[in-house]
Amino acid sequence: MGTLPSLESFNLWAALPGISVAVWACILLVIDLFIPKTRKETTAWLAAGGLVFAFVANLLVYNAEVDSFLGMFRADQFTAFFNIVILITAFVSILLSIDYLKRAGIERGEYYVLMLFSSAGMMFMAGANNLIVVFIALELLSIPLYVLAAFRSPEPRSEEAGIKYFILGAFASAFFVYGAALLYGATGTTNLHEVFEQVGRVIGGETTGMFLTLLGSGLVLVGLGFKVAVVPFHMWTPDVYEGAPTPVTTFMSVGAKAGGFAALLRILAIALPMLVLQDGQTNAAWQNVVVLVTTATLILGNFVAIAQTNIKRMLAYSSIAHAGYISMAVAAAGTAGIGNEAIQAALIYIIAYMFTNLGAFAVAMAIEKDDGSGTNLENFVGLGKSRPLLALMMTVFMLSLAGVPPTAGFLGKLFIFQTTLHAGLEWLAIIGVITSVVSAFYYLRIIVNMYLRDGEGDPAAGATERVNWAVYVAFAGTLLVGILPILVTTLTERVTLVANIVP
Amino acid sequence: MENTGLSLVTVVLFLPMIGFLILLFLREQTQLQTIKYVTLGTSLITFVASLLLWAALDINNPALQMVQRIDWLPQYGISFYVGVDGLSLLLVVLSTFITVIATLASFRTHALEERGRQKLYYLFMLLLEWAMIGVFVVQDMIIFFIFWEITLVPMYFMIGIWGSERRVYAAVKFFLYTMAGSLLMLLAILYVGTAAGTFALPEITAMIQNGTLSFPFDGLFSPQSFLFLGFFIAFAVKVPMWPLHSWLPDAHVQAPTAGSIILAGVLLKMGTYGMLRFCLPMFPEASVAWAPVVGVLAVIGIIYGAWVSYAQTDMKKLVAYSSVSHMGFIVLGIFALNAQGISGSILQMVNHGVSTGGLFLIVGMLYERRHTKEMAAFGGIWTALPVLGGLALLISLSSMGLPGLNGFVGEFTILMGTLGSQSLGFVFALFATTGVILAAVYMLYFYQRVFMGELDKEENRQIEKLHWSEYAALVPLVVAIILIGIQPFIFFQPMDASVGQLVTQMQPFVTSVVQLVP
Amino acid sequence: MVVQTEAFIMLSMVLFVLGTLGVLLKRNAILVFMSIELMLNATNLAIAAFAHQWGQVDGHLFVFFIITVAAAEVAVGLALIVAIFRAKRSINIDELHQMEG
Repeated sequence: MGTLPSLESFNLWAALPGISVAVWACILLVIDLFIPKTRKETTAWLAAGGLVFAFVANLLVYNAEVDSFLGMFRADQFTAFFNIVILITAFVSILLSIDYLKRAGIERGEYYVLMLFSSAGMMFMAGANNLIVVFIALELLSIPLYVLAAFRSPEPRSEEAGIKYFILGAFASAFFVYGAALLYGATGTTNLHEVFEQVGRVIGGETTGMFLTLLGSGLVLVGLGFKVAVVPFHMWTPDVYEGAPTPVTTFMSVGAKAGGFAALLRILAIALPMLVLQDGQTNAAWQNVVVLVTTATLILGNFVAIAQTNIKRMLAYSSIAHAGYISMAVAAAGTAGIGNEAIQAALIYIIAYMFTNLGAFAVAMAIEKDDGSGTNLENFVGLGKSRPLLALMMTVFMLSLAGVPPTAGFLGKLFIFQTTLHAGLEWLAIIGVITSVVSAFYYLRIIVNMYLRDGEGDPAAGATERVNWAVYVAFAGTLLVGILPILVTTLTERVTLVANIVP
Repeated sequence: MENTGLSLVTVVLFLPMIGFLILLFLREQTQLQTIKYVTLGTSLITFVASLLLWAALDINNPALQMVQRIDWLPQYGISFYVGVDGLSLLLVVLSTFITVIATLASFRTHALEERGRQKLYYLFMLLLEWAMIGVFVVQDMIIFFIFWEITLVPMYFMIGIWGSERRVYAAVKFFLYTMAGSLLMLLAILYVGTAAGTFALPEITAMIQNGTLSFPFDGLFSPQSFLFLGFFIAFAVKVPMWPLHSWLPDAHVQAPTAGSIILAGVLLKMGTYGMLRFCLPMFPEASVAWAPVVGVLAVIGIIYGAWVSYAQTDMKKLVAYSSVSHMGFIVLGIFALNAQGISGSILQMVNHGVSTGGLFLIVGMLYERRHTKEMAAFGGIWTALPVLGGLALLISLSSMGLPGLNGFVGEFTILMGTLGSQSLGFVFALFATTGVILAAVYMLYFYQRVFMGELDKEENRQIEKLHWSEYAALVPLVVAIILIGIQPFIFFQPMDASVGQLVTQMQPFVTSVVQLVP
Repeated sequence: MVVQTEAFIMLSMVLFVLGTLGVLLKRNAILVFMSIELMLNATNLAIAAFAHQWGQVDGHLFVFFIITVAAAEVAVGLALIVAIFRAKRSINIDELHQMEG
């Protein structure tokens, strides 16, 4: 045993954004005790303040490229980019929550604390460079979400969402952690960079463990597949998204997915790109699996969404479909030499998806009634007349989800399709395109309901000042990313997960 | 090539957006008239600016002119790159011209008052004009695609909000058809752009010319052909070519008058323009190889469109199907791949925009007065509205291609081009000529049923006279029809150099591939 | 007698599969929950065996983390189950079908 490493060598500062959110959540838990029941709004603003602090901290360390905690945590642009996505998501979700909780009569301070904990989990997912950390972050992300999903208790649908999410989430975690255990068994390490080297040896026939490696990485994929909701691990999504309180749905539809993809990309691109079945092959062994899963996800997500009559369920299936688009980029990352480009495409897609989805859920929340009903597609009829501005923004969100320019959604698809073609996956790209057209069909239906059908427009009672602000932020983001993509491409320019390690 | 100042093209492109911004600050309840006049004023100014563009164009220079280029996503080789040349100039002018007409036509449209939200309508009008000009002037494939898709949105709403009974169905069908076609184009664009390292069309064309970039070609089903088809299908849906035309009658019949005018006048031309601008120069071999197939489809479209037109009792449907027929001519001319065919096509695009726009305008005026589009409800309108009858006769004759009017010049040039073409030839010209004859049949049939005969219906006897704005919309169209008919030279002149260059570029491929593919 | 690592792994795999089957087949929320615990413990066994094989402490660390996290999951899970039980007087997961589609 050597000497203990110095505190400086931990590079704590590089993990500051994540740490600050986690620590602030602990402190807030205590502070909340002293805030009277009628003034829980204060807790919300304090939580939001913590996020702002983390956001600033994140900008300060944006260009860092260091390991923290002795290589367990990696602070690079990839991490920082995901931090941005997660912090904005959490901030907007809190903004949406304040009035929603009041309306639903479930105003409790723990809500915001749980949201902070979950955000911290997501942020550590992005930076985790070690299977153990990935696992802990995954749980830190998930456990608060189980509670949040059931937060509307004793409302049965919310409780049901909570328990379903809990059982499937825990099930998925078990898969993930067993996969991690097998990978550890095959390679003798949990550090992703070292796993990479060991997998190279396994492939080269220097050490045994091919079976464990394949099985382990397969189980890891399954576990994360549950988190990001790709087919066939998607069945929990519609029920959970529908039953959970809408701001929580908003939060998890973006945040949990972003966190899941962050870990997925890091593990696949850093630890397992060498995983090929034969010598001389250039594409990673998992590529075909991911292509298959992606195809199924794109088709199922988009086609089943057509049949939905509830906006939250429809957006749930739409979010499955969008997970499919993101995993197109994941699949592309399996082609040698495309890795970084594909990861950048995925990041751009995620930020585009974030703005759009936040907006869409915010509008859905605005028309929701106090008792949680009123989220049918029929409730959108006439919104173009009763709330023109809200309807206009919803139109832009729907067009963005469908991928119509000049919105963020188009830009995301542009990059995704390009990288897919570049990776030589033409068929996948064609499937992506065809399903996009299908998706336009159900997104257009909302627009049809809002503008083209006559009816008594919904007053959108939920559209309070704060909710409106959240919608404006999402709207501005959706258009800005679409019109001036250079803003986000600069953020991802130096995301080079793969170049760090490929020999 | 870089231009740091503001190019006239950019000015023309963004003029509608200025009007758009002004409209945003007007209130519909109190300032409806102002909204209308701001739209009209903006479209007029844009039209005048586009005429300045024409004046400023050096007609002896085949290259892009008044170029402006601003980086958009430099690391991916995407830039905001605009300019005009002989191929696009007339279409830009056509877009701005038709927008003026469409705005005027909107002033008297009943559906607008009935359904309200007029401010939104005029906002969409200007947005559409912006996007249409964008499609014609942009030289970067990605930005082109963006403008191409943006045109969908305002048109979708125009049909969907202010259309007639089955408007929702028509609007959704229009949107999905076009989107399905264009997303395949997006894949092709991405493929080409990634291979070339840039999305700027002039650079890609130059690379193909000097051989640094080529897409493998060895027959009808080779990589280059697939790329060609990716683009071509998107354009063919828009044109629309038989058998992808089924959205068109629905969209036209349900759209408000101004929507139909713009749709027929400009949006369809985006398809044929795209073939000219993208398919031919980027995929010369595939274009030549596929020309006979395209030619056959075009000829089927010509005859089918004409035939179905004849069978219609609904005036708007009749005009809509006649568009399928006329657009077939334009495609045929393009794929004749010689100077005559292509120049004829470009001119015919303008002609069709003017004539068919005029026909839709007339049908719209009749519809406003009688609330029916059935021909049987009319008869003898000439007696009740002699001026409209006269103007309608002129427009109908132009549409059927009477010598001395614009349609004749275009169709004749296209037929000459087809005859002299190495890729098409006599048989194509022969069948296409049948289309001209059929056109005469259905147009005369239409005119006779509506305007001639006894004024036997009471409602028609008391039909309302034309409003000033209706005259203002019709007269410029008629002037254009006559002007092109007697002075086609003015219109051929600016395109000659660019068309010549395109044909010269294509010629080696025509010779080599025609021998290759029997 | 020295027991080979393989034996531990085989056992852990059997336990893991049993747990998986339990989650998929059992209808009682408590039993489902226990099956998940079984899966986590199968993992612990595997990791401990591997850590022994590699002669490292990393694996043992991992086990501690898993145990802790499992405890946290228990807290949340049981709370949810109790809440459901209060409302429905039943913890059969087949009876959870408020939402269709």
